[in-house]
Amino acid sequence: MENVVVHNGVLKTKEELEKHYNPVKETLWTKMNKHKIFYIMLFPCLAFFLIFSYWPMAGLILAFKQYGFNTGILGGDWVGFKYFEQFFNDPRSWLYVKNTIIISILKLFVYLPFPILLALMLNDVKNNKLRGALQSITYLPYFISWVVVVGLMNRILAPNTGMINQAIESFGGDGSKFFMMEEGLFLPLVFISYLWKSIGWDSIIYFAAIVAIVPTLYEAAAIDGAGKLRQIWHVTLPGISATIIILFILSLGSILSSGFDQVYLMQNPGNANVSETIDTYIVRTGLQGGQFGYATAIGLMQGIAGLIITIIVNKITSKKFGTSLW
Amino acid sequence: MNASFKRFLTTVLLVLTAIVAVGCSNKNSEIITEKPEGAPDTWIADRTITGLVFQSANDAGIDMNEEVLAYIKERTGITLELQTVTNDNSTEALAAGLAAGDLADFVAFYLNNSGRPEMSLLLKAANEGMFHDLTPLMQNTKVYSKYLEEDYLPADTRDNIMFREEWNGASYLVHMAINRNGGDVGRPTVGGLYIKKDIVDALGIDPNEVNTSEELVELAQQMKSGNFVDDNGRPITVIGPTAWGGSDRDWLYNDLVWTGVSGEKFMKDENGKILHEAQTNYGIERVKFVQQLISQGLMTPEYYTMEETRAKEGIVNGSFGIVSDMHNYMPENNDMTYIPLGPISRVDGTNDMVVSYKSGYAGWAIPSTTEYPEHIMQFADWLASEEGKMLYFYGLEGRDYDLDEHGNPVVKQEVLDLKESNPEEAKKLGFRGVGAYWGEHLAYTDMDNLGDFGERSYGESVTGEKASAATEILDLYQYEEKFANARIIDGMTVQSFLYEFEGNDGGLSTALSRYNDDVLRAYYAKSIEEAQVILDESRKNLEKNRLQEFLDFVEQKESDGATIKF
Repeated sequence: MENVVVHNGVLKTKEELEKHYNPVKETLWTKMNKHKIFYIMLFPCLAFFLIFSYWPMAGLILAFKQYGFNTGILGGDWVGFKYFEQFFNDPRSWLYVKNTIIISILKLFVYLPFPILLALMLNDVKNNKLRGALQSITYLPYFISWVVVVGLMNRILAPNTGMINQAIESFGGDGSKFFMMEEGLFLPLVFISYLWKSIGWDSIIYFAAIVAIVPTLYEAAAIDGAGKLRQIWHVTLPGISATIIILFILSLGSILSSGFDQVYLMQNPGNANVSETIDTYIVRTGLQGGQFGYATAIGLMQGIAGLIITIIVNKITSKKFGTSLW
Repeated sequence: MNASFKRFLTTVLLVLTAIVAVGCSNKNSEIITEKPEGAPDTWIADRTITGLVFQSANDAGIDMNEEVLAYIKERTGITLELQTVTNDNSTEALAAGLAAGDLADFVAFYLNNSGRPEMSLLLKAANEGMFHDLTPLMQNTKVYSKYLEEDYLPADTRDNIMFREEWNGASYLVHMAINRNGGDVGRPTVGGLYIKKDIVDALGIDPNEVNTSEELVELAQQMKSGNFVDDNGRPITVIGPTAWGGSDRDWLYNDLVWTGVSGEKFMKDENGKILHEAQTNYGIERVKFVQQLISQGLMTPEYYTMEETRAKEGIVNGSFGIVSDMHNYMPENNDMTYIPLGPISRVDGTNDMVVSYKSGYAGWAIPSTTEYPEHIMQFADWLASEEGKMLYFYGLEGRDYDLDEHGNPVVKQEVLDLKESNPEEAKKLGFRGVGAYWGEHLAYTDMDNLGDFGERSYGESVTGEKASAATEILDLYQYEEKFANARIIDGMTVQSFLYEFEGNDGGLSTALSRYNDDVLRAYYAKSIEEAQVILDESRKNLEKNRLQEFLDFVEQKESDGATIKF
């Protein structure tokens, strides 16, 4: 019994006591080995990000190099900030930045409440079958490509022969307005078509967050005399605020990327002043002309701007709302 | 880290490496060069030749008929496999394909002339050693060796595309669709403006007499006030787009575009100085013309943007009084609803027919990674030979055609009937006559249909095209007379000197293409003043990108003896 002591009411040997107070420091490998099953599960994700997200970043070097088919990405001569100068020396470059930001603001800020509202409405549809049908109807447009959506818009809004113009004509109007060519209608059309296409899909995650709110909170609110709107304001919205903030911060990363397909397809000579964005400009001058370095430089600027804005907003939300990405 | 975990990681890495290596490597099938016993003289090698085609899906023609493939294999030992890259813009696809570097045994691309946007990419690739030198390979061929003869190729093909001075006799690109005889236009075609025949009859006009944009406006106004209707009883749109949809083509306002026949917006002024349109008033005059047509309801506002399907629908329903571009072989006009109008004279006042000495259309090259490049050249030569052409143009003897006493193909009536009743099914027979274009990439050159097949176009000797709408339109247009008096020109367009001038910089090239976009924007500007601002800004952008230096450079080339085609 010489080697046995009582520790916290438990009999322990001296070795056990020694181990408790001076534990052996585990190396990283030992720790990893201990949790290897989790690391194995993590490996495909890491491989995915390494191959498809981090490895391509090496290509950003092209923003500072002269690209050659034979020299590839790494072999060309250094050109410094030539491509950045080229972009900002273009008198229209600020117009492209401005157009991009305006369209992004429409899609990030103005659009933000709509899927939340839809999720709130769907949550209050008590008939499961009706809710399922409504969800399907609102999700479906997401799966239609922009080529088809813009094709439909061209048909519906065509001058003289389009549905809207024919309706105007039948009420005694002119019926020859070329809506798609109107500069002033470009942004509203971008917004409406984006809303129609994306609202259902984007509401899924909010709907899931609403469903996850503990029902007793609603019961407590009801006992306190809160009506439907009060319950939404004081229970639902605070319950999903973290989701809203996280999704918002994530989307800020693409603030200088206004969505290529839709804008490119809706672009025409009449609305070029408001529809030429950084993305369409990259394709027009960078890729179609084989100027990969130039296109990479503009892409790099987009990425850096997105990263900076994301970091700033993340900091602000962390301080103000206690929710952040990291 | 314990041993089993290490083993696991090593295995996973090995598998990943293997997957990447297999995915990135070319499919190097075995190449047998030893001629087997009993093989025909045309046998080249037992191997697969893959071709990567940077053209639209239809033009690429990758779906080949099995029997046709079997015939090729039997005669040459070659298994032909074509691939294409799906992209709306073939230049963009070519740029991406060249950058990726993972090219097939040969690559094919669009290349009308050396002024095309693809050219700078191809020159960059050729100069950077991405293609095999084709000159030594062409020397022992039957058809392609003609390319080495002094006067066989048109000037632009010879001097700018294939045998550039700086290459010292080497050649890296093959230009296709070269006619065997100079001034031969192949199948006579009348393109340009077309007008509804019933309107011509009702107004009692001679469509050949409308030769200026002013006369065209007068005609359009008469058509508008005539209250003509389409097949559905709806009022017609007086001026519609081209049969292929919205596009800015010169036919409608030839006399307001600063160009000759090249369409490049370069021309000489009265002092013999070369100017770009941006340095003249023609841009703004054209804007005024277009805005007048749109504001008076004479031209569809969708003139530059309408999709092809809707344009075709409009033609079938007779909804357009004037179609801005179509040709006499369009099936939608088999009943001759539309007949040629004009043409509107060019800016220099001429209105005669101008024929290129010879002109190309597409091209191909052999990447330097290809093993035995001589096999590709020999195979191309066989395809361009009499036997190869007959296979590509007419299919298989006995199945698709018979030979007459002169050795010319006589197309089987059942094939023509199938083509008429079910074009998609007919296309599966796999040759050019029924719309399968796989041979266009290597076989379509040294063209002389009349000499090779006894007819200008497929099946003409059986269907008797002489009585068709296409030939009636030729008569209405007085084609024969115009062709007899046509000017034959051989020269290089201004833009074909662009790469030599600015190399890989591309600034002026981009500025020129932006000018065309800006003119389109100006058509839809709210006022003439706004349009002028757009065009002024575009001119400044051209000047900033050394337009004047470029024009001086071209003038110097001309004084050195180059023939410039405006």
